Amino acid sequence: MDVRNSWRRRKTVLAATILTAAVAALGILASGASAARHANITLTIDVFGDFGYHDLYKQYEKSHPGITIKEDTEDYAPHHTGLVQHLATGAGADDVVAIEVGYIAQFAAQPQNFVDLRDYGAKSVKSRYPAWKYDQAVAPNGSVIGLGTDVGSLGICYRTDLFAKAGLPTDPATLGKMWSTWSKFLAVGKTFQKKMGSKSKFIDSGSNLYNAIIGQANPAYYSKSGEVIAATNPKVKQAWNLTMKAISLGEDKGLTAFAADWNAGFKKGTFATVTCPAWMMGYIQGQAPNTKGKWNIAPVPGGGGSWGGSFLAVTKQSSHPQEAADLVKFLTSPASELYVFKHTGNLPSELPVLKSKAVQDFKNPFFSNAPVGAIFAGSAMKLKPQILGPHQGDFQTAASNAIQRVEQHKQSPAKSWQQFLKDVANAG
Amino acid sequence: MSAVGVQAIPRRRLRRTAVARRLERGGPFTYLFLLLVVAGSIFPLYWSVVVASHTNAAVYAYPPKLLPGSNLFHNIHRLFNAGLVNIDFAHALVNSAIVASAVTASVVFFSALAGFAFAKLEFRGRKLLFLLVLATLVVPVQLGLVPLYIEMKHFGWLNDLKAVVAPNLCTAFGVFLMRQYIVGAVPSELIAAARVDGCNSWRVFWHVVLPAVRPIAVVLGLLTFMNTWNDFLWPYIVLTARNPTVQVAISDIATVAYVPDYSLILTGCLVSILPLLAVFLVLGRQIVGGIMQGAIKG
Amino acid sequence: MSVEQTTTVATVDRRARGKLLRRLDGKVSPYLYIAPFFVVFGIFGLFPLGYTAYISLTDRNLLSPVSHVIGLHNYALLIHDSYFWNAVENTFGIWFLSTVPQLALALLIAHVLNTRLRVRTFFRMAVLLPQVTSLVAVALIFTQMFGHDYGFVNWLLGLVGIHHVYWEAGRFSSWAALSVMVIWRWTGYNALIYLAAMQSIPEELYEAAAVDGARRWRQFLHVTVPSLRPTIIFTVIISTIGGLQLFTEPYLFQPRTSGGTGGSARQYQTIVMYLYEKFLGSSQFKFGYAAAIAWCLVLLIVLFGLVNYLVVGRIRSAET
Repeated sequence: MDVRNSWRRRKTVLAATILTAAVAALGILASGASAARHANITLTIDVFGDFGYHDLYKQYEKSHPGITIKEDTEDYAPHHTGLVQHLATGAGADDVVAIEVGYIAQFAAQPQNFVDLRDYGAKSVKSRYPAWKYDQAVAPNGSVIGLGTDVGSLGICYRTDLFAKAGLPTDPATLGKMWSTWSKFLAVGKTFQKKMGSKSKFIDSGSNLYNAIIGQANPAYYSKSGEVIAATNPKVKQAWNLTMKAISLGEDKGLTAFAADWNAGFKKGTFATVTCPAWMMGYIQGQAPNTKGKWNIAPVPGGGGSWGGSFLAVTKQSSHPQEAADLVKFLTSPASELYVFKHTGNLPSELPVLKSKAVQDFKNPFFSNAPVGAIFAGSAMKLKPQILGPHQGDFQTAASNAIQRVEQHKQSPAKSWQQFLKDVANAG
Repeated sequence: MSAVGVQAIPRRRLRRTAVARRLERGGPFTYLFLLLVVAGSIFPLYWSVVVASHTNAAVYAYPPKLLPGSNLFHNIHRLFNAGLVNIDFAHALVNSAIVASAVTASVVFFSALAGFAFAKLEFRGRKLLFLLVLATLVVPVQLGLVPLYIEMKHFGWLNDLKAVVAPNLCTAFGVFLMRQYIVGAVPSELIAAARVDGCNSWRVFWHVVLPAVRPIAVVLGLLTFMNTWNDFLWPYIVLTARNPTVQVAISDIATVAYVPDYSLILTGCLVSILPLLAVFLVLGRQIVGGIMQGAIKG
Repeated sequence: MSVEQTTTVATVDRRARGKLLRRLDGKVSPYLYIAPFFVVFGIFGLFPLGYTAYISLTDRNLLSPVSHVIGLHNYALLIHDSYFWNAVENTFGIWFLSTVPQLALALLIAHVLNTRLRVRTFFRMAVLLPQVTSLVAVALIFTQMFGHDYGFVNWLLGLVGIHHVYWEAGRFSSWAALSVMVIWRWTGYNALIYLAAMQSIPEELYEAAAVDGARRWRQFLHVTVPSLRPTIIFTVIISTIGGLQLFTEPYLFQPRTSGGTGGSARQYQTIVMYLYEKFLGSSQFKFGYAAAIAWCLVLLIVLFGLVNYLVVGRIRSAET
């Protein structure tokens, strides 16, 4: 008995020791290996979604020996909330951070937390940007907190095979004319639905539709003087009503954008159109490689529009502001923006790049060789920016939730709208 | 839910009642029922192996694939290759090993020490103080997390493992468990004898008590290690993806990029479970025994 | 320390010192031994909890450098905050849906395990296996299994002709899915606790029942369950303390889609999730308000624990 006990005990201790040692060794090996690689400086960059930078990092590390770049990526909302938190607590922010247009006003209002990029040559690149894009990242005190990466100019991505089945034209130009307004777009959807029944829906998700429509409104949530006018602005209500109409007509699949089932939907063709900011192209290619050649891109109803677009900033918490700023300049250089556009789809924000032959002539085989460069660049150069405010991003989330409540039959449109207004009022 | 009410009952009594009872022999239905229960226990883990061994595209297939695929090692490679998932998973594993080991060592030691004092030493206020320890078992102190966060910010411990280790260095549960065990397992005569030999209380603790509590220390250590390894909310609040514990790292993989890459997420889950699973397979008997011994009578 | 070898004077001196030390040892060291617990608990447990009460009376916010005492304002807001009450409802709903089947199943499993079995240890270990799995892993594995168009659960239901359920979308369905996670992880643990308690039921009780000719099932109802009363109360209270603080499973249940609000209509947002939303989850960082939620939750847990104690105690004693 005693012998067995002590053996068991020894086995216990032995096992615990071996295990802890194994786990520790594993980690030390791994961390040791990576420590050997970066001798000098590690730059951290925090983005959301996919910025398409991985190859560029490698390129940069090669041309700048001693620098290692580590990217961290998160989902849209947690990324920005986390950034607010890290800036406020004075700890945890990366050297370089990406900021989306919905949040840029909020961060531009706290220039004390960011390196003023004017000290690192921002002025010399100013002329490359459309004035509005550059100005969005300028703080009230004149300091430049970020440089533009992409703009989210809109198109409509659609499945030509499903359109053909529904007896609709499949040519982008014809479609563009057919749906010159959003009401006409929904009318096309009605025809589509009549043929296809419930097997395939015309639209993936109500909130994507809404985002596209609201993206064309100016002003939308904020007035020129910075007041929140979500409740009184007829354009917001109009975007809402159109979305509700799409739902009531049964054209909406009602998926949650960016969730697992939405991804599955791309592969299975459970919906025929997606409102498509340029960056969505990369997403579709990554999600549903099996649908290559079945997609095409047509102009968006309502003429031009924008959803998304981002900036890169350097935080004051960075201990290598010079190197970080250099990296930002590299990543936002025309060559880098072009590279990202070709490989991921994010549309450059710099005028020379947008006008360049490389962009204008760019065709994407995945999207039936549509002249995506010309379509998106054309719409981007016509873009009129929206007036932004600090809680833009929060309102966007609240609206998505409100639309889902209707899609999932949890609330009537009227009730859900009321709750949306309440959320908007509480966001401050 | 880490608390287990414990009142150690001397082993001998337990054995006798268990053996003396003429237990009915399990019939075929008993085994059938138990096999179903076992299947239910194991299935989700099996499922995570299935998902972790396919490509992400295959994970979204319908009908779902029911058998493991051949992609497991590729997924593990992706998991540990920081460039691909942007999370240094090896770093996270080391962090968790450090945190869990430090907390376990500290909890076992200080619990034994305090348990010894409460069980065998006379001092003023002993009963009252012990009641206080008991009371803290019921009060959900973890809900003080708002000020605790402010406290950590004040100490400059945000994003630092210290913020995860420090609050867990001692637990009421540990003190309670040890006290109950020592009362029964260490004969007072033995302590008295050591005293007569001139041992002070520290030497009594070191030479008499510590060796005697080894069985329960293993149980307490294992439970503490498991709880710390599996803890999520607090590490999630104070740590970032740069310096995470394993649980924080997995939750980050789940929100990485736009694509929920379930093959990768569940590979992360699987790898994070493996160390505990290994311990469990080796020491499961002790853990079962510990929980059962510990729990007789609330 | 061999006393014999020293001189008499030294011995006397030593004895005096030894006596003093020993008295000091007896007086002081117990406090030293229990001090670590109280120090750690004080700094990281009691003080924060007390300080929570204070912060809840202020408008403290991460983003503003100064805060003001605003009395019970946060609590006044909280009472009229429909999102808070929604979270309370969800929490209790999920708690009920998970606890009742969990404990019933645990009793049944314990009863079955309390027989003469081959590979007894194997069964016990297998039952406890889910405990090893972390909450994060449980949440993510089950979330995958509950996927709408690709998940295992809907596939299984499809086999028997049930239409795919959108688990995350519905109020009840999301509660049910989350309850399954909780039940899976905790049933075995509770079963072992019950099993231990069953084994310590005095044999005489069963003998008396056997004389009555009670069948096994009736033995279970009339001897086993009543004898387990204190253990059942204990497990109910433990599951209350844990259940009311439910966070990880619902937080990671479709985490990316609704900004941590627990679904578009907050259909499965629990109290701690709401606390987290006000605290760090949204860009509001209302620490004062979050503290008020925390403090209310503490009170709820203590109150509800007491109620449980009384109710379960009464039911069982009525049966006996």
